[in-house]
Amino acid sequence: MNNLHNQALIQFRTEIRQFYIVCILNLIFAALAMGFGISFMISAILGLTAPPRPGMLIGAIATVCFGLGLSWLLSTARIFKGIKVINHQLDAEGTSITDDRITCLIVRMLTHYRDNRKTIGKMIRGCTFGGICFFSLGIGTSLEAISILSDGITFTLNNLLVIPAMLLTLGIAVVSLLSSYYFSKFVKIWDRRLLEIDESECALKKNLGLGEQ
Amino acid sequence: MSGRRTVFEIYWEILVYCRSPRSFTSVINRCDLNSKTGQEYLEFLEAKGYLTILRDNGKATYQATERAGEYTSLFSSMYQKLFDSQPGFRL
Repeated sequence: MNNLHNQALIQFRTEIRQFYIVCILNLIFAALAMGFGISFMISAILGLTAPPRPGMLIGAIATVCFGLGLSWLLSTARIFKGIKVINHQLDAEGTSITDDRITCLIVRMLTHYRDNRKTIGKMIRGCTFGGICFFSLGIGTSLEAISILSDGITFTLNNLLVIPAMLLTLGIAVVSLLSSYYFSKFVKIWDRRLLEIDESECALKKNLGLGEQ
Repeated sequence: MSGRRTVFEIYWEILVYCRSPRSFTSVINRCDLNSKTGQEYLEFLEAKGYLTILRDNGKATYQATERAGEYTSLFSSMYQKLFDSQPGFRL
């Protein structure tokens, strides 16, 4: 195994494994987001959210959260499927992986990235917006009353029982915002690689006398 | 392998697969190409001297030439360098 091969394998394997973890976290939290969206929607519809809380507003935010959760789940599932196959193949091959096989998996990952680039872009925007919605939902459902006075803002929490639900909603918001950050980071790195490939292919074409088809 | 591949990635895949003699059908199935584009790629690689056609009892198979080795090894080193030169994705 040469040095370049070894270095590439370590780096590629680490990236795929870490992105795989981000995808799993996304799947879990997207499912939770959907569940929470449904639960808050039902509460708002049944009027369980007693006045003076703005039930209609919470219902609307919950509907948006449910929609975002569903699209988040579907998009993540599509990306996860491809990553899972590559990750399992990398694990199955172990350290005895051949030069051709690692190049094949790199090409496969690049293909998967090209196919899902737009979806990842949508997920970055969706996760940011979803994070803000879940943050609002977490704060909104836990407040009993809020008064804005000339000397400041005062608020009362509903009761202690809502604190775990509020923390979970805020947790989803944090994961959503973190996902957006990691997806942006991933896109930046892989876009740079696509650019490097374009440059390499020009050199490849020149060196080997391959023409455009 | 399906999805959006560059023409160079398809060439590489064909050449690696054709290290041992392969029929036209097995190449297009393995590389997920349709007959028309598959034929174009194979003709192009043959014209450039990367593939040779072997005929045995009227059955034609494609095999990569020694020259193809230069292309596949250059391609591999370029793609592996993508993970060597710059800092990658980390949590």
